[in-house]
Order: sequence, then structure tokens, then C-alpha cells
Amino acid sequence: MDDRSSPPKVLMTKIGLDGHDRGSRIVATYLRDAGMEVVYTGPWQEIDSVVTLAIEEDVDVIGISSLATDHLVVPRLMKALVKAGLDTMPVVVGGIIPDGEEAVLYDAGVAKVFHPGADRDQIVNDIGSLANSGHSILAPSQ
Amino acid sequence: MARSAHKPDDAWIERLLKGERSVLARSITWIENQTADGATVLGAIQKNVGSAVVVGFTGPPGAGKSTLVSAYVRELRSRDKTVGVVAVDPSSPFSGGAILGDRIRMGEHTNDSGVFVRSVASRGHLGGLSLTAARIVDVMDASGFDVIVVETVGAGQSEYEVAEVADTKVVISTPGYGDDIQAVKAGILEIADIMVVNKADMPQADQTVSQLNSMLHMGPAKEWATPVIKTTATTGEGVGELADAVDEHGAAVHDAHKAGPVARTRRLIASMASDRIRKRIAQSSDDALNQICESVARGELDFDTAVDQAIKLGGDME
Amino acid sequence: MAKHESESTSGKRAIWEQEFEKQTGGGDESRFNRSGIEIKPLYTPDDWSTEQYDNSLGYPGQMPMTRGIYPSMHRGRSWTQTQLVGLSTPEQYNKRLREMIDAGVSAISIASCNSFLRGHDADEVPPELLGTCGTIINNVENLDAAFKDVPFENMTLSAGDPTPFTQLAFMIALAKRRGADPSQLRGTSNQSDYISHYVANHMFFRLSLPGSRRMLLDHIAYTNEHMPFWNPVSVVGQHIQQAGATPAETMGMTISSALQYAEDCIERGLDPDSFLPRFTFFFDVSISLFEEIAKFRAGRRLWARLVQKRFGAKDPRSLRFKFHAQTSGADLTRQQPMNNIARVAIQAIAGVMGGLQSLHTDGYDEALSSPTQDAARIAVSTQNILREEAGLADVIDPLGGSYYMETLTDQMEELILDVIHRIDDAGGMYAAVESGMVQRMIGDSAFAHQQKIDNGEQTIVGVNAYQSPENEDDRVSLARPDRELIDAHVARLRTYKTNRDQSAVRRALDDLARAGNDTDINIFKAVIDAAEAGITHGEICACLRQEMGDGRPLVAA
Repeated sequence: MDDRSSPPKVLMTKIGLDGHDRGSRIVATYLRDAGMEVVYTGPWQEIDSVVTLAIEEDVDVIGISSLATDHLVVPRLMKALVKAGLDTMPVVVGGIIPDGEEAVLYDAGVAKVFHPGADRDQIVNDIGSLANSGHSILAPSQ
Repeated sequence: MARSAHKPDDAWIERLLKGERSVLARSITWIENQTADGATVLGAIQKNVGSAVVVGFTGPPGAGKSTLVSAYVRELRSRDKTVGVVAVDPSSPFSGGAILGDRIRMGEHTNDSGVFVRSVASRGHLGGLSLTAARIVDVMDASGFDVIVVETVGAGQSEYEVAEVADTKVVISTPGYGDDIQAVKAGILEIADIMVVNKADMPQADQTVSQLNSMLHMGPAKEWATPVIKTTATTGEGVGELADAVDEHGAAVHDAHKAGPVARTRRLIASMASDRIRKRIAQSSDDALNQICESVARGELDFDTAVDQAIKLGGDME
Repeated sequence: MAKHESESTSGKRAIWEQEFEKQTGGGDESRFNRSGIEIKPLYTPDDWSTEQYDNSLGYPGQMPMTRGIYPSMHRGRSWTQTQLVGLSTPEQYNKRLREMIDAGVSAISIASCNSFLRGHDADEVPPELLGTCGTIINNVENLDAAFKDVPFENMTLSAGDPTPFTQLAFMIALAKRRGADPSQLRGTSNQSDYISHYVANHMFFRLSLPGSRRMLLDHIAYTNEHMPFWNPVSVVGQHIQQAGATPAETMGMTISSALQYAEDCIERGLDPDSFLPRFTFFFDVSISLFEEIAKFRAGRRLWARLVQKRFGAKDPRSLRFKFHAQTSGADLTRQQPMNNIARVAIQAIAGVMGGLQSLHTDGYDEALSSPTQDAARIAVSTQNILREEAGLADVIDPLGGSYYMETLTDQMEELILDVIHRIDDAGGMYAAVESGMVQRMIGDSAFAHQQKIDNGEQTIVGVNAYQSPENEDDRVSLARPDRELIDAHVARLRTYKTNRDQSAVRRALDDLARAGNDTDINIFKAVIDAAEAGITHGEICACLRQEMGDGRPLVAA
């Protein structure tokens, strides 16, 4: 039975070294105001921690807020998710990502990249759609 | 969202009972969303429920509850206990969404395979939340955790109801600037099995402790004398004492058969029944009930008798 | 009719009001600045008159300090051009530093790699994160390479590294190696304000709150005694404003932090006049031109008054609100990046007219990465142009006496004092931060500002108005570090660590750990000793986190 009436659950987190969280707080508020449940963590999460969080909280989407060059660590996260059986988990990255490096993220399997100045409604709609796509929590082999 | 990628078949249940985290996590989601799969899981695990100790933490915002819970979990881990945590945060009454921020303070436990933390939003159905929380506790219990901590923000009566899920209820307050014994409004003292004064390094701490002690021990002695414990969650001071007190209380209620899933369920049913009857009596326009109320107002009927009659009627009223 | 108006003036005013209404068709809407103050179309002696000059303005270098902390300000000596410079390896940094010095930079301020800011050595983090935001300095050898052929001991220094001040410890050790006297070093422990890192930005957030408190106090005590030209306290408004606080809130919160530190020092037994002269501030300057100038004038005036009143400061140097300002990266955009050159120029004007002592101007590509060579050069040129061509240093407090500026300064002062009182009521800045009150205020303002942008109330050129389709010209070239150089640096660091006398390292770390646990030992002195013994930044930080408590988040969701 599908439970489309339950709110989408999103993990908002930061990996890498940067600690600025103004953007991620604002997006978390957007999502909450749009009726989503947001598991909000502090910055500097280890890759392994993000995987654990995604599993324990059984979230629908992982949102990474990235400033400085933390987005360069995202491919590592994508690999770790695959290894843990979460290869269909949608991941979005928002923040300061130079145009020339967007491709690195999409190639690694990121579903969507948001740049500064991205429209609030678009962020909310994109994440909402991704949340509805559903994903498995165990690798097929498991 | 479609979650039909998995099914609660026998293999699934077996893995759940062995404590596999992904399986537990998805099972909790089904239960939280009150789906048929969730009901299947609950039915399948009932016989495995009952070995976990359930501890509830509640208190006003700003009391340092999450930090204290994190320190308590650390203490439990040092005593070789595995721990499940259910952290409840309120949903926005406007949008139905929620920001679940308890994990910020629990970072040290994320990579500990002996700890499982789940953030849960109240979803505006606090009475119903008690039920969901109780069922989540059951499934964590069945999957093998020694201790399950339920953490809620206690700002009103409903949040205390969630704490009813627990065998041992810990209520946290802080020494305030001025009269911050908000925590000590009527009702809290009733439900607290253990009273904690956190931020014990603050100057008014000792004063607050003695005030609470005198309030708690007014009146006739009860079966369990609620202790007041000082803690400083940020340094871990007092947390060992807290863990000891929880153990003591746990032993006491276990002996008195007030712990475990059956007792939990009884408390929940009592709480939900009282809620239901209250609503019925308050909102009914039943004639017989009106007459009872008028009799009391005229001084012809005493309250005790009136309540007995109303309860009987309550079962039959619309 | 106001008392200073003649009948004909009031008649003229009435005429103006009528004609204003007519010309705007009655459609003039209220406008507010970022702090929430309503901005009128015109200010006159009705709002502020020169009768108030002596009380509100006075003369530069004298109470009430509004016009500036020194008698001659920039006219006597230009503000210091302190560009934050940082680039991957120490060798790369050295090249860029010498270019900047040739271009007119007069002070050294190292922009450190994020790995450094977070207390790690280069071999402890994923290599793709190294050297992208700044320079990697892990030990004294690295600093030596960074300052090759640079007489740093004769320049004004900004050591960016609070808790546990290893960058300064490395500078001291290096000075000794070069035969210079470390007690003569002049500069500031930039951003030594640990409270601001608990509130926002979080980059320097490493030790527990009590651990950080002790570290700062020991640092102040040490420099008071051994480094007479060093400013150990740099109270940071930048993070707070960048996190979204309004300019008035920022100034209120920053002053409250400074008051907290002053109280801590007094409790330690230090005499106010011994430490207050070495308090400095570090602010963001946003593009809200007049508001920023008023913010600084009000802050300067308030600080002087408060330290006199609360601490009985007598030394005139104790009353000086010395500050460095950085143009705010939060106002810069990724879209149409060249616009940022104009933005930075305006922010710089605001800072200079606000009476700063030192200025960093951002590169136009700030929103994307650490600046390219071109962007860095333009940033410095901007300051030179303002001074040499626009004559910005010729007049002290040039907007002083403007009806608008004086009214706005008074209004900002009121708002700032309001915030200070709220924090006082909460038990002081330390307590207000522990309880999360400050963080909530900031979060609310941040969200309110975002809403204004989202609904178009606040126009950001190129972003929500005047947009253009993105094209190749907008794509700024990135300064990405050479991976080979980074890898070589990491390899050298590993070799360095293994080639040391391991038992000496062990002893040095044990000494440091012991000092961490013994409050009778000055912990900053222990850090200097460890640096001189060849211990690396990451090793020092790890040891102290262990002994003095790791930083735990105080932010609420």
C-alpha cells in the first residue's frame, strides 16, 4: 500500500570542511513550510555518518549543502551510498558549485544541482518530486 | 511515496529480529505511516517484545534535553548496553512539515553500531503519536535493543502522554533566571519518576534542587520516592547517577509488574480512553447528560455521583 | 514650525512637501534599511541640527569618538591594506604574497586552507579539499617557505587562528630562527573571538566553550606580558552579519561579546586599561552604504561610552574602537560576476567613511573560489583608486554633520543598545549563546532577508532582476590548486613527521597534554613550546581537543 499521505522526509546535511550553514537552514525552512520533514544535521559529517543517517532515518532524499569546495567530496558519498545498497537514493547538492564542475556531480549520480539564487519554489518542487520516486533500502544482492 | 520495494515476509522478519538496521529502519517507516505492511510487522513480532527497558525524557525547550540524552546514551554504552532512541519533534501546525534537529546533539553516536536513532515528527496527532511511538518502541524492542530512549519536548500535557510510553519517566528542568520552575507546573511532578536539574553548574542549581525536593515529597509517601538529580550534560557530570536511578526505578516497576509492553499498552489505552470520554462528555448534547449537569448546577446532585453517572452514559452516548 | 526655522523656511518646506507628493503621484512607498529603520526621502535640521555637534560628534580622537578614534585618521596615515591572501602550498602563497606587496598591500594576513581552520593537518583530510580556499601551513617549515624573502617580522601581521593560536606560535618560532625578537612582532590574533564561531560560520570551532575561554584568557595574559605590540583580541562581527543578522544586531552582538571578554579578563584579575587597548574588532561591510557608515559611527561611540561606564577605563587608548573590515562576500553574486567589482568598491567606501583602520576588498569571483590573480589585483587597485583618485582619505568623517547621517547614526545606536540590553538580560553573551537565543535571532533575520529577496522586495541585480542569459563571458576561470603540488606537499609532510625524533615528539605532546589539564600553566605558552619542538598544527589541535574538550554544536535547528 502506498502511503502518499505521509510527508516526504529529507536529510539536510553538510560534508567536507566548510561550516557555514545559513543556506542550509533557509532551505530546511522552505522544505518544512512546504510540509516536508527535514532531518537536520550540523556540518562536517563524515561520509559514513551520512550513509548511516540516510538508512536509520529512512529518508526519501539527501540534500547536501556545499560551500567552498566540499562538492568535490560528493563523488565519494555517491560511491558509499551504492556500497550500502542505497544506489537509488536521490541526492541533490546546493550551494557554490562552479559551472565547470557541475558535470562531475551529475556524472557521479547526483540528481540535481542548485546554484545560489535558485528559485525557492523550484527547489521545493524538485525535491518533492524526487521524494516521490521511491527507492529501495537494501541492495538487490542483500 | 512508493515504498513497495520491500515486503515484510518471513525472511524480512527474521532479519528484523536479528537487528539488521536497514530492515528495522524501513519497518519503522511502515509503522510510522500506519500501513498494512506495518501492521503485518507488528503482528509478527509481538511475541518478541518485552525485554527492553524503556526510558522517557521530557522537558521544556532549552533544558539541554538532547545533550543530556546523548550523554546518557554514552553512559549506557560504557555499561555495554545497546540503545535505540526515538526523538520526537513537533510538526508545524501550519504546513504539517517539521525540522527534526535532535541529531545535531547526538553526533557522537551516529557511527556506533550499538546505537540506533530515529527522528519522528508529531504530525499533529499527539494522541495518535503515543500509539505510533509505542509501536516504534515495540519494534526496536523486538530487534534486540537493551534500552530504548524516547525523547520529547514537554511543553504541554500531550507531550507528557508520549512519555507514558516509557517505564521510567525522566523530567528535565534547569535552574532559571527567576522563576523558571515552569517544569513544575501541576502534572509534571505527578509523572516524573526521576527529576533532573540540568546545567547544574549554574548558581541557582542547588536552590532549584531543594525546591523540587520539598514539592515532590509533600504529602503522603508514595511507593517510589522520586529523586532529584543534578547533571551537567555538557561534561557528563551526574549522568552516572542518573543511569543508576533509572536502573533502580526499573527494578522497582519490574517487580511491581508495571513495566513491559502489556503495562505500556494499558497506560496508553487508559490515556486514549480518558481522551475519548472527555471529548464525548464535553461535546455531547445528549439529554440525559444535560439533566445530570443541570442537577449538579442546582445543587441537587453531588459531583462524585454525577461523574459516575456520566461515565456510564459516556459508553452509550454519541 | 520648528524653532530653528524662519517663517520663510517653513513655507519652503511646505512647498517642497506638496511638490514631492505631486511629482511622486502620491505613490512614494515606505523604505526600510536592513536594520529595519525607515528611510525618509529628505533629512533637514528638523531631524538633526548642529546644536548637537558637541554632544553627538565632537572631534576625532576625543569623546564621544563618533568622528574617529585618532585625531588625524586616514589623512595622517592611510588605512592598512590588509588583503587576505591564500593559495594552496606555501611556495605558491609566497609568490602571490610578493606580488601583492608589490601592488601595495602593506600587511600580511594569511587565508588558510579550510583543513587548517578545522584543526587538521594536510594528511588528515581528503586531498580534493586541500588548498582550494587558502594556504596549507602545518608547521614552522611551511611558514618559512611561505615567508621566503619576506621580512615578515617588520610588517603588520594578522595571524588567523584562534584556539589554539598555532599560526602565531609558528610565527614566533620562525622569528627566533631568523634571529628576530618575537616580542617585537606587531599584529593581531585575527578572529580570536571564539564565541562568534559558536554562533555562526563555525570554522574555527574546535575546543569546548570552557576550553576556548581558558585558551583566550591565557593568550591575552601571555601577550600582555611578552608581546607589547600584539593585539590578542579580535572580536568578530563578520560571521554574525554573514549568517544573516542585521547590521544593528551585528554591532550589538559583537559589542556584547567584547563586553563578555572584558568581564572575563577582569575576573582573571587583569586591569581594564591593560587589556582594553589591545581589543580590536573585525566586521563585514555590506553594500547598504549609509547604514554601514552609521553602524560603525554608532558602534564606535557606544563602545567608548560603555567601557568607560562599565569598566572605569581611564587610558584614552582603552576607548578606541579599532577595527578591520572586509567587504561582504554575502552581497556578491555568481550571476554577472563583473558587477561585483562595483559592489566591492561601494562596500569599501562605506568602510573607509565609517572610520576603519584596515580593509580587505574581495575579488569579484569571491562567490566561487579564492581569487584569481586578476581578481586579486583589481581588489587592491580598488583601494588605491579610492585613496589616490577619489580622495577618500583627504577628509576625516566626511559625512559628519549630514542631517541624514547623524539621524541614522542616532537611530542605529538605539537599536544596537537595545540588542546589548537584551543580551545583558539573558545573562551576558556567553549565556545568551549557550541558550541559543542569539542564534535564533540571527536565523530569524536571515530568513526575513531571504523572503524579501524571494518575493522581489529586495532587488539583487542579475539575480532576481536585470537578469541576462548566462554565457561564456560570465564563466570566471577558477583558481584550482595544482594537484601535483598538493600531493607533493602532503608527501613532504608525511616525511617530516616520520623523520622527527619520535621520543622528543612524544615528550612535547605529553607536556602539551599536561598543560591542557593544569590551569596553572599558561596554555598558549605551552602551544608555543610545542610549535618550537616541531609539533604540527593538527597534532596540537588533536591533543588539546582531547584534553580541553572537543567543540560541540550549540546551534539549535
